Amino acid sequence: MLRLAAKRLTAGTASFHAASPASSVAVGRRFYHERVVDHYNHPRNVGSFEKEEAGIGTGLVGAPACGDVMKLQIKVDEETGKIVDARFKTFGCGSAIASSSVATEWVKGKQMEEVLSIKNSEIAKHLSLPPVKLHCSMLAEDAIKAAVKDYESRRASANGNGKASP
Amino acid sequence: MLKKKNTTTTTLFNILRHTTPSVPKQHSPLTFSSHSNSHFLHKSLQSPPFSPKDRSFHNPTWFYSFGYLTFDGKRLYSKSAESVKERSSRCWNCHAVHESTAAAPFLVCDSCRCIQPVDDSVDYFEIFGLSKKYDLEGVNLEGKYKDWQKKLHPDLVHSKSQKERDFAAEQSARVIDAYRTLSKPLSRAIYMMKLDGVEVDEEQTISDPELLAEIMEIREEVEEATDSESLKQILSKMEENLKSWSNTFATAFQSRNFEEAQESIRRMTYYSRVIDEVVKKL
Repeated sequence: MLRLAAKRLTAGTASFHAASPASSVAVGRRFYHERVVDHYNHPRNVGSFEKEEAGIGTGLVGAPACGDVMKLQIKVDEETGKIVDARFKTFGCGSAIASSSVATEWVKGKQMEEVLSIKNSEIAKHLSLPPVKLHCSMLAEDAIKAAVKDYESRRASANGNGKASP
Repeated sequence: MLKKKNTTTTTLFNILRHTTPSVPKQHSPLTFSSHSNSHFLHKSLQSPPFSPKDRSFHNPTWFYSFGYLTFDGKRLYSKSAESVKERSSRCWNCHAVHESTAAAPFLVCDSCRCIQPVDDSVDYFEIFGLSKKYDLEGVNLEGKYKDWQKKLHPDLVHSKSQKERDFAAEQSARVIDAYRTLSKPLSRAIYMMKLDGVEVDEEQTISDPELLAEIMEIREEVEEATDSESLKQILSKMEENLKSWSNTFATAFQSRNFEEAQESIRRMTYYSRVIDEVVKKL
């Protein structure tokens, strides 16, 4: 019986060993997820809105640890409070660019309050970001919040002045 | 070199031990700083080499190692503004004791020329025998680096045992890290802060509009620039900024103003990134 158990054990470990080389090769190499590469090669919503345009909120954030800057702009419909368009400009690594690109895609067509609940973990999961790049998704989340905040403060000051927003 | 323990010296040692009251019974680490105002001695004592029987012929140095407690035995140790880490270690091969000083860290044994295992408590400045200052003007870092590699590089130790070759690989890698970290001002600044316990927070995001807008503008400029002339202009401007913030860091760090030091490092990081981008484009 002992011999049978030993045989089973060796059979189990043999199959385990057969499986592990393949998986360890995949784990050993680090690579960008195909979504990140896609966003990098085919960026969506890159650019800026004109300075004079109304209903724009600009979020400008930076990650001092790696020297990244991220600018995310939202165009909001005054009446409905819905984000109709978004643009981004990011100087940083591929993960940072992809994170902000995803952010612009996700905010489009949503209400302003809604986008505040977009979490960096969702972005990171969507892009399969490795742990060392999680701060890039954090940066994107902060950019969204900053853009919304900027829009609201501009609207408040515009209403206060009784003039159209700058 | 190793003698059998001498009973008379042991007794002498014990007498001396009892007569100097300020010698702490427990070897508690004291903190030090590299600045002239504060005057502490940092020492992490490893208990094994300090048992009395081993110290038979090293009595003077045992007291010598307690820094500013001057012992008028064999040596008078006067503490200068630069602090010195003292430690005694044994070679694993010939068991000779090595007195490490700031100028000669214990990476290779003097008696038997054996390479020692990596000691992480020896920081990068000590490897090159430098005091912990930010300004390294006039220091031939590259020369010292090459000297070490002549002794430690794995390619030069084919005749030695596997154990020693492994030590050589580790030591050599550490010396390379040390050289790279200390040769660039930004990495040197970050390292010095780290030694003082202030680490850069990876997760932190900033929204300083002035700095970010400036960097955004410069990065856009770099992207749109077509000729190398304008790029070189931007490059020199960035290097200028880097130098001035580097000086700001030095002053801030000297006066222990860590807030300002961190701000300086932030700026230096951003300008360094721009420089990297420009260099890539050129």
